[in-house]
Amino acid sequence: MNGFLVLLRKELNGYFLSPVAYATSTFFLAVMGVIFHLLASILAEGVPGVGVMNLLFNSPFYWMTMLVVIPLLTMRLFAEERRMGTLEHLLTAPVTDRAVVAAKFGGVFIFYLLMWMPTLLFLLGLHLYSADRVPLDPGAVAAGYLGVLLSGGFFLAWGLLCSLTTANQIIAAIICFAGMILCFMAGFLDVISYHPVAVTFSELFAPHRNLAEFSRGIVDSRPVVAYVSGTVLLLFASTRMLEARQWK
Amino acid sequence: MITVNHLTKHFPGRVAVDNISFEVGHREVVGFLGPNGSGKTTTLRILCGYLAASAGTAKVAGFDVQRFPMEVRRRIGYLPEQCPLYPDMRVDEYLHFRAALKGVPARRRRGRVDEVKELCGLAENGRRIIGQLSKGYRQRVGLAEALVHEPDLLILDEPTIGLDPNQIRQVRQLIQQLGERHTILLSTHILPEVEAICRRVIIIKDGRIVASDSTDQLIRHMKGEARIVFEVQGPRDRIEAELGTWPDIHRMEIETLGEWHRFRLACPRSADPRARLFSQAAASGWSVRELHLEPGSLEELFVSLTAPASSGGAP
Repeated sequence: MNGFLVLLRKELNGYFLSPVAYATSTFFLAVMGVIFHLLASILAEGVPGVGVMNLLFNSPFYWMTMLVVIPLLTMRLFAEERRMGTLEHLLTAPVTDRAVVAAKFGGVFIFYLLMWMPTLLFLLGLHLYSADRVPLDPGAVAAGYLGVLLSGGFFLAWGLLCSLTTANQIIAAIICFAGMILCFMAGFLDVISYHPVAVTFSELFAPHRNLAEFSRGIVDSRPVVAYVSGTVLLLFASTRMLEARQWK
Repeated sequence: MITVNHLTKHFPGRVAVDNISFEVGHREVVGFLGPNGSGKTTTLRILCGYLAASAGTAKVAGFDVQRFPMEVRRRIGYLPEQCPLYPDMRVDEYLHFRAALKGVPARRRRGRVDEVKELCGLAENGRRIIGQLSKGYRQRVGLAEALVHEPDLLILDEPTIGLDPNQIRQVRQLIQQLGERHTILLSTHILPEVEAICRRVIIIKDGRIVASDSTDQLIRHMKGEARIVFEVQGPRDRIEAELGTWPDIHRMEIETLGEWHRFRLACPRSADPRARLFSQAAASGWSVRELHLEPGSLEELFVSLTAPASSGGAP
């Protein structure tokens, strides 16, 4: 436990010292700002039947941003340590492999959440300054952010696993990106096939659809379970991969 | 402190460590030698718990490295080859981080970090960024890190590689100093280093131990030829002719320095013709100003034990 906390702190410090992290979060907030601007103009025109959270989270801009942000945040986790040779040093310190994986994941996940924090100000601004009080459903806000948290955790865990496979950060980022693209494409299976299996598959595994649901305030237990168990599985696989060095 | 029993490590397609056994006692300073690729680093990595053995056991302070990896790691200070560090951290920050990771209690951390900085000559460099330090200073940071949790055992993998002669000297002195308080396993192929620091050496070749004894003993029992230096004043041709008839002397090299002739004689290690040389010189009226047996160096021993068979280096 002690080792985990020490490593977690070091990871977080690392993010606040890393130019890549600042560039990534600036890019992220810029895109979110544009989305918010579009959202504000749509609301200003008074288009009926549009939910604020749905506009924020169910835009293609949002997903394209995630496809860039997640690989950029996770690529360095293990690849950098491996390239510098510090991984061996880290793994011969009195800290378990599990704690190392948990701390790396914890660090990037907390940074990801902090990156999202300023977007709450958008909503606050909307709430305070719109003339005729835009209907902000607290349930939809909470569910929307829950979706961000769950899907983010899952993809960050995927990025962490990718980072373990190589000493080259660029390759780690490319593998992560490719995997995420595949996951999104699986979500559009029902566009090319009406086969019931394809339809069910894309309904269950489409991240964009899941988030659309969440942003309407609907918390379906299936995607919650899928994301949580997927995250745990990926982290477990990462721990195993780290342990596998011993037997190579 | 270290007990290794029939340790074996296979990598796909090759055996890196082949059934080795050795022991290192409390506060011993042992040199772990071998050519590149002989299995040194693999053995050290198994001891530190980075790799798992394919067969056999290794114990550190009585704890099996496989079954009690945390107990073992707490007792080891490990400086890997190339001394990997985080280049964007400051020296103090790095040492505090590693001290915390290694379980040094918060209230003692500052004191410990200051102590190891002092010991490794880093007292003035705490605020410097590691990436901007010279190789010698980085090596010191690595050593300070290895020491920060007061480990019983220090495992140093080629600690002086890439340093300039002054830095090598400083690091060597530091290791010598540390040998008074810690058990040290020092892997290197810089032999004068081992001769200077270690009381005992283990020589490994192709994953097997080919020699393990005190440095002096090993050299004394070295196979092959001994060299005698015999500096004498007299008629060179007669001396050469006389010594040429001695069956003990296989070869001689002669160097003339003014009136003196310096003979370097190669003879079997079992024969020691020094007494006879002196009597001969006295009987023939030659003046002698030097007569000694060259002790042989660890380097010769190392080459004789580890040179590939094809080069004919092994006697």
